[in-house]
Amino acid sequence: MTKIFNSETRIPYLILLIIFTVSIYPFFYMISTSLMTAGEASNQYFLPKKLMFENYYEVWTSNRFQRYTLNSLIISSITVFGVLITSIPAAYSFAKIDFPFKNIIFYLLLLSLMIPEIITLLPHLLIIRGEIIPLPFGPSWMNTLQGLTVPFMGNIFVIFLLRQYFKKIPNELWDAARLDGSSHLNFLLKVVIPMSKPIIVTVSLFTFIIAWNSFAWPLLILTRDDWYPVTVSIYSFVREVGPNFNLLMAACLIAISPILLLYFFTQKLFIESISNFGLKE
Amino acid sequence: MKNFLNKNLNYINGYFFILPAFLIISLFGIFPVFFGMYMSVHKWKVFKGRFLGLENYEKILGDIPAFGFFILGLLLLILSYWIWSELKDKFKNKIFRPILTLLILILGLYLININWDKMLLSGDEDYLYSLIYTLYYSFFTIIFEVGLGLIIAFALYQKLAGKQFFQMILLFPYITPAVMGAAVFFLIFGKAENSFLNQLIGFFGIDPQLWLFDKRSITEILFGIKIEGLLAGPSLALMSSILYGIWSYTGYYAIILLAGLSIIPSDLYEAAKTEGASRWQTFTKITIPLLMPIIFFLMLTGFINTFQAFNSIFVMQTSSAGDTMDVVTIEIFDHFWGRVKYGYAAAEGVILFIILNVLAISQYVIFRKRLNYD
Repeated sequence: MTKIFNSETRIPYLILLIIFTVSIYPFFYMISTSLMTAGEASNQYFLPKKLMFENYYEVWTSNRFQRYTLNSLIISSITVFGVLITSIPAAYSFAKIDFPFKNIIFYLLLLSLMIPEIITLLPHLLIIRGEIIPLPFGPSWMNTLQGLTVPFMGNIFVIFLLRQYFKKIPNELWDAARLDGSSHLNFLLKVVIPMSKPIIVTVSLFTFIIAWNSFAWPLLILTRDDWYPVTVSIYSFVREVGPNFNLLMAACLIAISPILLLYFFTQKLFIESISNFGLKE
Repeated sequence: MKNFLNKNLNYINGYFFILPAFLIISLFGIFPVFFGMYMSVHKWKVFKGRFLGLENYEKILGDIPAFGFFILGLLLLILSYWIWSELKDKFKNKIFRPILTLLILILGLYLININWDKMLLSGDEDYLYSLIYTLYYSFFTIIFEVGLGLIIAFALYQKLAGKQFFQMILLFPYITPAVMGAAVFFLIFGKAENSFLNQLIGFFGIDPQLWLFDKRSITEILFGIKIEGLLAGPSLALMSSILYGIWSYTGYYAIILLAGLSIIPSDLYEAAKTEGASRWQTFTKITIPLLMPIIFFLMLTGFINTFQAFNSIFVMQTSSAGDTMDVVTIEIFDHFWGRVKYGYAAAEGVILFIILNVLAISQYVIFRKRLNYD
């Protein structure tokens, strides 16, 4: 049996131990501080004397925090749903159907990756206000759920990832299905999607994280707090934190937990796709 | 006839399937750039005003031709790289290629330098300085992310027990939403004497610092000398947000670099071992050169991404840091959100877009031909 710690692995383990500590410490700090009294937190103790679980309750019930968390859940889920609805057929079409100008359209859409978000915010705002084109569902989308979600429902990066995956599905399957009289839509729903679960889960997680993270856009289009996502609420909390470090950390922990939970269940797929991305063309 | 119908049906299906994505991406992904350009040449405060031409650009850049020459200088730097790498065997005279490369390089740097000074003289100082702050942010985050990422990847590559577990932990910072992560770091980097970081450096006998609340440059704090210009380095406040950036992305880079390490053929290492190469020699002579394409690629995409960093810096901003944390995205956001100068902000955005495109061109030039492991 080889020993785990020998002269060969001592230094690598030391490096990993340091990295491990640095990576995990802010989470430890967050959890530990969230369980302290206000006094302990502002003196930045290492551990709380007594675990103050009531902090979570206080945050959860104050300042409409539960409403904001729920908002974020709704916004992110709808965005993920919308992205999947638009991206899966598009990726399938780009991967498996032949039609004129296919590649030109694809590369044109790929250009949108080159455009920084900060530039798009301002024109988005005017579109949402209904100043450029007439909008369905109401004259202005300011302060609405569709305003928060629809602009992010098309994502060429997601289409790109799905297309790479769909391309690997053998054409013989489609030939056989067509002989049985199946349509493209039917084939997509019955064969392609069930075969592509891993990649769909991965892109869903990607999209969910991005949507959960969205901050500048809601700040711009929300003038009332009905649809405030949790990020905006944490931001205003930071601005007026005063001595309540413990409550701020409790709020952060609540706001991060859905992401951590999702990551925990999908981490293997997630790590795999990050390893591939950037190396495969 | 049936074939013809089938084909057309295929076309219709194809277009129908991409239609929703196409509509949303062109409206929200591509159209904004052109509309931004349209806005930038108008007086625009909430509502559209009169046509201004290039007036906004003139105000920001001071001297538009100088900006053109500045960009030309950047392109010359790329050209010099291209000549160096592509024309290896094209010249009979061996001395000609290095000289040509060097000349173009110097000309490029000269153009950049002189035109930058011209722009600073009469342009919008806040905006131009925000570009410098962005450069600091990108430079330091990328160097450390890729450097540390490399070390971690190399450590993980040593067939250790618990590799899976470490990989999972490494990505925790990456998936943490920036606003919440920044909120935690806002407390860790607190200015109070008993903030976590001050306690930590106190342990090593260093005086407490103001971190996010300190607008003095790091060179001033470290060496006690005041330097003006680019060499002054970022303020301690900006450096603190850079440390957050490093914390959140290093693991991500490590995972990608680890994937890069694992495609290097293992017989290369074995050959090095039989020839008695030390570990450090194998690392510098085999691993680094073979990883170079990936490292370069990560650095360039990293540059483009960090030029757009916004959320974490916006949350960590403090008023006592002055404008030293105003990277370009924050500057633009402030102009249209805070000061409602839409046309002006759009022009600032277009300039950022141009700069990012130059970076993208350099990425294309450098990676057009992927180096192979042969």
